[in-house]
Amino acid sequence: MVKLTDEQNKMYDGEYGPGVQKAMAMLVKYGDIFGAECMIKVDSAHVDIWGPVEVLSQMLEVVDQARAFTTVHSLKPSTTKWAMGMGIRPEVVEQDTKTHEKRVKLYQKAGFLRAFTCAPYLVGNMLRPGTIFSQAGTSGIIIGNSLFGARGNRDAVNAAICSAITGVTPKMLLHRPENRRAELVAQLQGLDLKNLSTADFGALGYYIGAVAGLRNVAVVGIPSSLSFEKLKYFLSAMPVSGGVSLCHIVGVTPEAPTLEAALGNGKPQETIEVGKNEIEEIYQRLNTAKTDQVDLVCLGCPHYTISEIKSVAQLLDGRKVKEGVRVWVSTADSVYTLAKRMGYVDIIEKAGGLVVTDMCMSSMPALEIDVKTSATDSAKVAHYQPGADVGVEMLYGSTEQCIATAITGKWGG
Amino acid sequence: MILKGKTVNEGKAEGEAIVSKLPFSFVGDLEVASGKVIVKGHDLEGQSLKGKIFVFPTGKGSTIGPWFAYQAKVLGNLPTGMICTEVEPVIAMVAIMNEIPMVHKLDKNPVEVIKTGDYIKMDAGAEVVEVVKNKRNGVSP
Repeated sequence: MVKLTDEQNKMYDGEYGPGVQKAMAMLVKYGDIFGAECMIKVDSAHVDIWGPVEVLSQMLEVVDQARAFTTVHSLKPSTTKWAMGMGIRPEVVEQDTKTHEKRVKLYQKAGFLRAFTCAPYLVGNMLRPGTIFSQAGTSGIIIGNSLFGARGNRDAVNAAICSAITGVTPKMLLHRPENRRAELVAQLQGLDLKNLSTADFGALGYYIGAVAGLRNVAVVGIPSSLSFEKLKYFLSAMPVSGGVSLCHIVGVTPEAPTLEAALGNGKPQETIEVGKNEIEEIYQRLNTAKTDQVDLVCLGCPHYTISEIKSVAQLLDGRKVKEGVRVWVSTADSVYTLAKRMGYVDIIEKAGGLVVTDMCMSSMPALEIDVKTSATDSAKVAHYQPGADVGVEMLYGSTEQCIATAITGKWGG
Repeated sequence: MILKGKTVNEGKAEGEAIVSKLPFSFVGDLEVASGKVIVKGHDLEGQSLKGKIFVFPTGKGSTIGPWFAYQAKVLGNLPTGMICTEVEPVIAMVAIMNEIPMVHKLDKNPVEVIKTGDYIKMDAGAEVVEVVKNKRNGVSP
């Protein structure tokens, strides 16, 4: 059983109202399943806004202020200011906007920061070694553990909300050093890493994630000079095909200066070699389209950094997107402001693309927009868009290939 | 056959088993509107989880699972009980939030000893699962 402090017991007993009580009860139940002995203070929370409004009301209506620093995840495209410009059906926009406004009121009251991004590290939700976080969104979780050296579990959306409300989470799983050892070692073999695209890194991560399942991974062979963006694509694909929340990149991850450190001086359960064939296998799996005619190009999942937007602007500068093809470049609002100031947004718009903010493109329902074939440089988008309720066919390749496709309308450029 | 396990979420449930060997996500693997598994090449492709006891190894993928499962619940398309080899945090919260009776860590691996079509009676609070073999599935291993 999870032991509670006096203050936590007051929450559990309802002295701070039913919202806090319910959140604490859920966290106790959650901790009991995974053998937690106590709660631990949460320094950073990140919550998701897609929740059913009646459930969020029950959780938040009677909560005055969140006890943890909390940012809010990206939205459905239909609830953003870009919806009409993206061609989302007006009846969908109208319906989704109503419930969205109710959610916004609940989050405002709780003091959740409406950053509306899947990349909380872009908007001041900062992590460092040892920080305890409870964040919805698997890319943020694996990046938080693996690049920033912070400690957080694969918390579900509602677990993260409970932590935001109470300021605590059960101390368990990846909070404990003994559970952070790598179990699977992946050695990169025969790859010219300097010339791999972000999509190649996404494919590598997707392959490793499928083998790893929920296990911690250590990767050998990545130079510490590799860009944040490539690491982002590599890591964020792992909890899509699998459920990896910690991947020690030897020489990059703060707690893994060596493979021995990543393994906690123990032995791995399994060692695999990953190279060209594995990348090719994932391209085969994620490229589901039977045509090379593209309707939509989706870039920015996880949300693009300013460097990535700059690259796209350079690729599109002075060129024109083919009529009938939509190009969406997705980022956080604060990054958009900077990109606008630097002229990148104007270049992309002049070419016929659209820089959009606040949204998640990866689970875009088919009901919202008429798209048959979608091209992307993100393994997440390639995996999730054809999933639940969608039926879109995918083309997956590098950013350069996606931009070339946008200009010709045909995959392959 | 009687199996003993650990509680994920209390409650009693019974029904026909549907067994997958693959880690599952309620985001992407399940069509909320029908309760069917829609992924091409999935070992349950085209089959419905609705009203059944869903037996699978563990979870994977998106942390938004509990919300998608809730939408399926509103439409009456969720399994009535769940059994995992070993649960992970997202599937645990799917069960807790949606009040699905669930056990894991059984004394035998459920995805090996339970077959689709077997009849299951489970009491998750008491940590007991009774498996009545479907004759078509033969004798239990």
